[in-house]
Amino acid sequence: MTPVLSVDGLTKRFGGLNALDNVSLEVAAGEFVAVLGPSGSGKSTLFRCITRLTEPDAGSIEIDRVAFESLKGRALRKARGRIGVVFQQFNLVRRKTALANVMTGALPRLPLWRIASGFYPENLAARAGTALASVGLASQRDQRADTLSGGQQQRVAIARALMQESRVLLADEPVASLDPQTARMVLGMMREMAKSKGLAILCTLHQPELAAEFADRILLMQSGRLRAFDAAEQAVP
Amino acid sequence: MDQPRDGNRLGCHGAQEHGSRRQRAFLPLLVLGIAFYLLCLHVSEVSLSRLLEGLPRLWTWLVRSWPPDLSELDILIRRGLETVAMATIGVSFGAIIAAPICLLSARNIGVSPIVALPARWLLNALRGIDSFVFALIFVAAVGLGPFAGVLGIAVHTAGSIAKLWAEAIETAEIGPVEAARMSGAGRLEVFLHAQLPDVLPQLASILLYMWEFNVRASTVLGIVGAGGIGQELKNSVDLLLFDRVLTILLVILVMVTLIDQLSAWLRRRLS
Repeated sequence: MTPVLSVDGLTKRFGGLNALDNVSLEVAAGEFVAVLGPSGSGKSTLFRCITRLTEPDAGSIEIDRVAFESLKGRALRKARGRIGVVFQQFNLVRRKTALANVMTGALPRLPLWRIASGFYPENLAARAGTALASVGLASQRDQRADTLSGGQQQRVAIARALMQESRVLLADEPVASLDPQTARMVLGMMREMAKSKGLAILCTLHQPELAAEFADRILLMQSGRLRAFDAAEQAVP
Repeated sequence: MDQPRDGNRLGCHGAQEHGSRRQRAFLPLLVLGIAFYLLCLHVSEVSLSRLLEGLPRLWTWLVRSWPPDLSELDILIRRGLETVAMATIGVSFGAIIAAPICLLSARNIGVSPIVALPARWLLNALRGIDSFVFALIFVAAVGLGPFAGVLGIAVHTAGSIAKLWAEAIETAEIGPVEAARMSGAGRLEVFLHAQLPDVLPQLASILLYMWEFNVRASTVLGIVGAGGIGQELKNSVDLLLFDRVLTILLVILVMVTLIDQLSAWLRRRLS
């Protein structure tokens, strides 16, 4: 199967430290790939370099077979729209409603006055409502983000990523700030989306048992290097 | 084993030397500071004897100012309201000028330094020159009256508002900004959607503070002919009508206190 996300030789140095050391990976449509590793192993740097929120030093990134690493300005912005993201800290605009936060995913399609006033066009508002309903938050659509629980906030963030209608979803420790039960629900939702919408999901985690339960494939990150998690290791808890 | 200890002692010695160097620099600095202060005292012609000579004159004026002359209270109140109007309109124009400057100069919007640096120079220049000075120039340009005051307040306050707004915007959370950037939106879209809502109460509070400050500060603008109650104050002092001066001071005090309270109440509600 052709990969939707493909990363080759990604490298990032901070001072003398190799945060990412020649990392390569591929994620196919409908596949949920977990990157497992202790904190400080380079998982977040991998996430930030693939999204280019931090610029990598070397390596190539392809999204839908289009080179992403060399894009600049408007082309970079347009290509970013093809990557959905979920952060550990949810990163919602606290003082806006759940619906307005989901609308973030459609921001490039909105004129400035609609962004500033919050008068969203009906078709987009309906789509945002559907995205919220699909994460089980239909009745919270007009609630302010900072009044929602952690699990609800992360589900709004997932709906925000869905709104983008991207084919790739990158998640950086999406359940690290949630209790175990909520974590399972959120990961289950993400896995279901990979299967039903054909999303390619790359998700960093630090709990092996969650990775084993939800991921199709596990990659191990250690001191900036990535390797496959083989079956023998998987057998040992 | 010997070497690190030796190195350690050297380090200690270095620190001591550094300390004594600072002590040695302190004394000349102190002498220089005192000399500067004495020079300032001389230049400002401070004289106790002149103050003592003047005191009886102040006393007679104070006595003559009682009771306050309330015959023209309605006119004075109207002039006070003119000051409030000048400050309100001046600050609102200032805010309109400040909006683009603060967006260009805030460090977390992502504007290139080629544009951001001149924007910062501009706001510092506007802030550095007082509204009083601007008003003086605008009186010459557009004639006597409150409009010159409005322009003076607007131009100076634009710099102050832009600086305070930019600083407030810089406190906005980075997380929601990164999430919005990942949607593919441009800088202005990201600002309006993810940064502005976060800092809006702060921006409003700054605006109210600048309004309150300018009501206080613009009472003197009349002295250069730029309208408001300051003009009455200057006329009355020139004509030695001290009972009228007292009334004007009372009107200013009541007006400023009311505006301060109103602004403080509104700002408390914002936070």
